[in-house]
Amino acid sequence: MIFRAIIALMLLPALPAMAELPVVDIPPGHTKTFLVIHPHHDDHSWVSGQAGLVTKLVDAGWTGYYVRVSNDEKDGPHGYPHDDMVNLFEAREATENLGIKDVISLNWRNDYMDPTPHNEIRAQLILLIRKYRPDLVTSYHPWGHYDRNPDHRKVAKAIGEGVWLAGFANVHPEHRKLGLKPHRVPYKFYSQRFDYGKGYEPNVVVELSESNIRRKARSFWVHRNVRLRGSTGRRMRQLLKDQGLAIPELDGLTDIEAHARMQEWSMYDAARKVGGEHGIEYGEIYAYLGEWHPWPGLRDHIDSNAVDK
Amino acid sequence: MTPSLHRIAAALLLAGLFLVYGSPAQADDDKVVLVITADASDYVLAAGGTIAKILDDGVTGYLVRVTNDDKDSWELTPEETARRTREESEKAAKILGFKEVESLGYRAGELGGVSPTELRDRILFYVRLYKPNVMFIPNPYAEYVEVLDRFYVGQAAEDARRAASLSNYQPPFAVVGLETHVTPELYYYAQPFDPRRREPESTATFVPQPKIVDIASTFGKKLAAAQALKTINHSMAMRIKDRLETTGRRLPLLDEVDEVSVSKLVEINVRKLAEIAAQDTEHAQAEEFHYAGVEYQIPTKYLQ
Repeated sequence: MIFRAIIALMLLPALPAMAELPVVDIPPGHTKTFLVIHPHHDDHSWVSGQAGLVTKLVDAGWTGYYVRVSNDEKDGPHGYPHDDMVNLFEAREATENLGIKDVISLNWRNDYMDPTPHNEIRAQLILLIRKYRPDLVTSYHPWGHYDRNPDHRKVAKAIGEGVWLAGFANVHPEHRKLGLKPHRVPYKFYSQRFDYGKGYEPNVVVELSESNIRRKARSFWVHRNVRLRGSTGRRMRQLLKDQGLAIPELDGLTDIEAHARMQEWSMYDAARKVGGEHGIEYGEIYAYLGEWHPWPGLRDHIDSNAVDK
Repeated sequence: MTPSLHRIAAALLLAGLFLVYGSPAQADDDKVVLVITADASDYVLAAGGTIAKILDDGVTGYLVRVTNDDKDSWELTPEETARRTREESEKAAKILGFKEVESLGYRAGELGGVSPTELRDRILFYVRLYKPNVMFIPNPYAEYVEVLDRFYVGQAAEDARRAASLSNYQPPFAVVGLETHVTPELYYYAQPFDPRRREPESTATFVPQPKIVDIASTFGKKLAAAQALKTINHSMAMRIKDRLETTGRRLPLLDEVDEVSVSKLVEINVRKLAEIAAQDTEHAQAEEFHYAGVEYQIPTKYLQ
């Protein structure tokens, strides 16, 4: 265990401690459909990804779709268009491992999204929201600060507005020609790198089981094109050897398999650290926006007075 | 610098600022307040009571409504929505005491495609035209506001306030008699979405600080103005009812969605917003702002 902790410390970014947050369960489902919307192939399953929540929803019988906004051409060692294709295939494998039904790729050019009109990305998201009518959307935090990845900022902003505007019939009225009615997304779970400092304020923690983490950890390294390097596995083992240490669990594994195992441990340790800070074993933290978020003056009244039909 | 030199410097700075910003003894009926809003309802719900209070003192008020609100309705075309909301927003502004409403007519929800410079310069025109003593603008730093029009307008208005004071912005305006103008007081408003809205932005030197205003005396006007926005209110009621019905629930108040029930819903909303803003204060009903006035232009060390 101590060796695993050393490896985890080497792989993890420095995660600051925070005050204990309330543990929330997944919200009541009506359509029991959810969308995971991200700029990239691998955003769902890393330290700040939402794969734990995804597996929890899938286990509860929900249907999920992954919307990949960029083409990921910059991510990987092969150059484009080779990386575009590899990353898409791996996104399908990784999201299938989580139980997601389908990947919809919008294919905007990776890291060249600033000239892409905000309203155009938003329009595509509104169309998909009206098509799938999700009860829940999870993504990066539209108001998160200090995210240095331009695609993260751009896509999160489009989502933050799209989930609300999709509810108005006069927004893209042409969708009615396809029989697509307005649909406001009632529940939003936003997350972001929380080691970027002031600006991102999570307000809930979602409790995860070992099974949730196992699937998240696997989906992390299934993105082999960007997550696995035999050279890293070899270097790590050499580093341990130089100090007279060894990790028995890595015995008999190839260098690349060893790296995959270490990557899994990093996911377990990240979730365990978050859980430990909030009184549970494993967790993911979120900025959660509930059903009546758009009307802060009416939330209490509706919650107290709404009754079953 | 010695302490006495500090005091002299402070006095000179204050004198200079009052010369630039206008005398503090200026009569209220010479004063002007300019309110910039993205849509018909936001400024009413977030700042209507405070604005009414200022206008009650004889100050002249102008409202610039940037979008046409064409999206926020239930089963109405965009054109009909825009027409009705324009009429209703003018009625609401009249209740609060505004002299005039300028509607810029941008399509609601589509400001992300509008040049920020264009938007800034449209607002800058009104700053130089009306020469306000006080501006109210949407707080572009407020988080969790899903209506991004408010962010774009807040950002443009903040920039316009500054640019209006510098002659190298929009030189043609000077040709037609619109001289540079410094607006000394600035209120940033937002409905209470941001859980950290009461935290000071930083030390109180150059940045706006939280300010809570008692609105008990003008709450009735604020409520009446909010209730005048019938198209938006009906849309809100129907969207809440629709969400509840599709999930097997009902709100008894909205069993019949008519003028009476919608007005009641608006009253519940406006009362609760005033109560949220008044939390932990001596007030019964309030509004929350981030505020930058003359004193925030002076470094703290010069005030000591």
